[in-house]
Amino acid sequence: MESFFSQKSLPGLLLLLLVFSVYPKPASTSLASQGRVLLQWKASLRSQQSLRSWNPSTSPCNWSGITCSLRRHRVITVVNLPSMGLDGPLHTINFSGLPSLTGLNLMFNRLGGEIPPSIFTLSELISFDVQGNDITGTIPARISSLTKLRSLNLSGNKISGSIPLSLGNMTSLDFLILSGNGFSGSIPEEIGDLQNLQELDLSANFLTGSIPQSLGNLTQLSLLDLSLNHLYGSAPPSLANLQNLLVLSISNNTLTASIPASLGNLTRLIKLNLWGNHLSGPIPHEVGNLVQMTNLVLAHNSLLGSIPLSLRNLSKLSTLYLFNNHISGTIPAELGNLVEMRDIDLSHNLLTGFIPSTLGNLARLRNLILSYNELSVPIPSSLANMTSLILLDLSNNQISGCIPPSFANRSLEELSVINNSLSGSVPNLTSLVSLKLAYNDLSGHLPPDVCRGGKLQHFTAAYNKFHGPIPESLRNCSSLVRVRLDRNNLTGDLFDHFGVYPNMRYIDLSYNRLSGMLSPKWGSCSNLTSLRISNNRLNGTIPSEIGQSTRLGALDLSSNHLVGELPKNLYNLISLIELNLSSNQLSGELPSEIGKLLKLKRLDVSGNNFSGVIPREIGGCKQLISVDMSTNSFSGSIPYEFGQLVDLQELLDLSQNSFSGHIPSQLGQLTLLQILNLSHNNLAGRIPPSLINMASLSALDVSHNELEGPVPDGQLFRRAPMEWFTGNRGLCDVVAGLPSCSSSPPRGASNVIFLSGMAVLGALLLFFRFVGFAAQLMKRRKQIANGTSQTGGAAFSIRNFDGGDAYDEIIKATENFDDKYCIGKGGCGSKETTAFSFTELHCQQEK
Amino acid sequence: MKIQHIAFLLLGLASATVVKCNVEGDILYSQKKAWKDPNNVLQSWDPTLVNPCTWFHITCNNENSVIRVDLGNAGLSGGLIPELGRLTQLQYLELYANNISGSIPAQLGKLTKLVSLDLYHNQLSGPIPSSLGNIKSLKYLRLNGNGLSGIIPKKVLDLVLTGNLTEMNVSDNELFGTIRTSKKRVTTITQDAKISS
Repeated sequence: MESFFSQKSLPGLLLLLLVFSVYPKPASTSLASQGRVLLQWKASLRSQQSLRSWNPSTSPCNWSGITCSLRRHRVITVVNLPSMGLDGPLHTINFSGLPSLTGLNLMFNRLGGEIPPSIFTLSELISFDVQGNDITGTIPARISSLTKLRSLNLSGNKISGSIPLSLGNMTSLDFLILSGNGFSGSIPEEIGDLQNLQELDLSANFLTGSIPQSLGNLTQLSLLDLSLNHLYGSAPPSLANLQNLLVLSISNNTLTASIPASLGNLTRLIKLNLWGNHLSGPIPHEVGNLVQMTNLVLAHNSLLGSIPLSLRNLSKLSTLYLFNNHISGTIPAELGNLVEMRDIDLSHNLLTGFIPSTLGNLARLRNLILSYNELSVPIPSSLANMTSLILLDLSNNQISGCIPPSFANRSLEELSVINNSLSGSVPNLTSLVSLKLAYNDLSGHLPPDVCRGGKLQHFTAAYNKFHGPIPESLRNCSSLVRVRLDRNNLTGDLFDHFGVYPNMRYIDLSYNRLSGMLSPKWGSCSNLTSLRISNNRLNGTIPSEIGQSTRLGALDLSSNHLVGELPKNLYNLISLIELNLSSNQLSGELPSEIGKLLKLKRLDVSGNNFSGVIPREIGGCKQLISVDMSTNSFSGSIPYEFGQLVDLQELLDLSQNSFSGHIPSQLGQLTLLQILNLSHNNLAGRIPPSLINMASLSALDVSHNELEGPVPDGQLFRRAPMEWFTGNRGLCDVVAGLPSCSSSPPRGASNVIFLSGMAVLGALLLFFRFVGFAAQLMKRRKQIANGTSQTGGAAFSIRNFDGGDAYDEIIKATENFDDKYCIGKGGCGSKETTAFSFTELHCQQEK
Repeated sequence: MKIQHIAFLLLGLASATVVKCNVEGDILYSQKKAWKDPNNVLQSWDPTLVNPCTWFHITCNNENSVIRVDLGNAGLSGGLIPELGRLTQLQYLELYANNISGSIPAQLGKLTKLVSLDLYHNQLSGPIPSSLGNIKSLKYLRLNGNGLSGIIPKKVLDLVLTGNLTEMNVSDNELFGTIRTSKKRVTTITQDAKISS
């Protein structure tokens, strides 16, 4: 916005040049030769359609963009070719052939290359403007030889390097515009010598260092823009000398310290922008002296204290941005006197108390943003008097009371009161684009005409106490993009209240009391990514048309009364990440097409009447992290392909079904899985020893099956509660509370640990028994010899001989066996390189 | 004029994001911007929403705080931003099997509710921050298959003794040193053979 000044001034200067190009010096070159210089340049350009009039048969003075002097010996004085689509090099202009040039304007073309040295021969040049091209290189120090130059505009190019100190010699300069390049280094102190400078724009570069005090000498300056650089330190107090300054912008730097109170001397200032620095301290009271001010932008700093009352003097203020600071206290009622105000944003501060009712006087105010404060008192009904108001954002405060009825039928387009303590009903708002009411205690009916204006895109009323029907006007509200009405007490028939929404991306109607059937029209919402209608009273079947919403990532219809089979089309929803159909009365089989859902992460079909065999194609859904198929009537064996779902982490729940056969040993590959529930089925055989590889398992339930044999000896099972295993045919060993396996030890190929342990234990027992037997024999002989006889005791003492230590020894020994076993098998992550990895189990019996 | 317009546009955008979003959404959105997302898995991450709880791959608790970030196998590249450490209720950070590079921010140690930190199969480098040892709730720490270097900090190993760590996989990195483990708890530690124990 600051640039308006430069944009106004530069064409003005150019006009001056055009009118008064009465050239004082005799030209050293002829017009014809000057024309040839330009024709040569034209020939070097890639695109030159716009220079069709540049023709050797006509006088260059008649060419487009060319101005000649009015003297008898006419020479070219101005080349003015803005936005002509010129594409090519700049350096192919032989400037030494155009010594009479006073003005050169090539802005907004696609001229590249460096600034040619020949340009420094243009001793008469007054204005040089190449803004918005692709010029590279640096500014040569020789630029200062252009002693008559008054306007230099290089903005929006790719010029880098430092700003030459020699610029300080160009004391004729009025306008120095270097914004939007790659200049680095610090701002030269010498810039302060340019006593005639009116506009200095160095914004959007990579300048560092502090702002030189010397800039305070530029007393003619009307615009100073240093924004979007890396300047640090404090704003120099000398800036207070810039009595003619209209615009001061130092936004997006890293200035520290407080805003100098002396800025209050800049009484002509219209715009002050210090956005995005690290300024601290209070907003100086003296800002109230800047009575011409229209824009005051101090957002994104660390400013403290309250909003100064002196702001009431700024009667021309139209923009007040103080957001993202630590400003506290109340909003001064006097702001209501600033009738020119158009935009107020005080969000993300620590403001408390009430919204002054005087703000209702601000008839021109369009945007009022007070979100993320600690405002608490009810909304004054006078706010509805702001007839121009388009956006009102009061979200994330602690505002109580109701939304004033006076807002009904107002021209407001966006209203957000999210996250407050508002109660009561909502007035009938009609011309909204966005209505956000979520997270309050609002009640009554939703505004019936909320989409009467046909513009509603965002409608969020979740987490309130609304009851009654879905607003009538939503049915044909094709503008809708996002709707959240979840967690209310809405009633009525869903089938009737929704139509087709080509732009809809997200809708959540969960946790209401909506009834009726799912409309096939949802399938026509081709941009829908989330459809959530869980915990309602939906009945009927899932319409097959839903399979047309192929962008759907989340489909949650859980906890309803849906019946029937799943439509085959459902498996066309290949973008699905989450599919939750739990707690309905759905039936039928899961088809093999389920393997097409390659992006699926969460699948929950629990609590239905699904039956049949789970297709082995489930193994294709490799992204799954949670699967819940519990409480259905699935039968057959558990497909071993579940073992391919190696990302399963949260849950695999197949409980409360009729699965038979063995537990697939491949489940042992699910090393990330935390909870595995296979309980309440008809699973038979042994628990596969591979399950001890499930390193992340924290809960397992295989209870109430037909399992038998020893529980595998792994760390998890040794500490496991018996409840995980109860109600089976004959599980034994390892788990405290299960009987020991009385018969011969199992002969599973992978039970090396157990076998080894048993072997060592057996050997030790035999050894001790032998030693004990021998000792007892000797003792008995002695006793017999001594004539005394003891019974019992000694035999038991052998069996109890230091049993705990023996156990520890066995565990240590089996650790070694375990390592060897893993490496030998090559299935525990061993590698081809020497840096093989192995699994080490550190275990000890816990008492 | 062009440049000033762009600058103003930038300011305008900054305003839009800051004014309308919340802390956790801000953090995750910053992380989104720091990543390359060739598969568009983060398309739903809209910073103007009241919270990130309706974004895909994010799970919140009932108080609308983020408890899970599930972005395994998502094709993401780029680094981890330190601000992730401010997702104070986060329990599961699942970023396995991507192309995430750079170091593990020490600030992740502030995630005192974290149960699972799955950064395996990425291109992370630098040390394992000792601050991870502050996470007493951590049960699963899987950092295997990266380019992590240095020694495993004692504070992290102490989690076996003083915390809840039941699984730690640091194999296939550039780590060296000694692992001193507790025999008092049941823990699985997967590591390279060059780390002695």
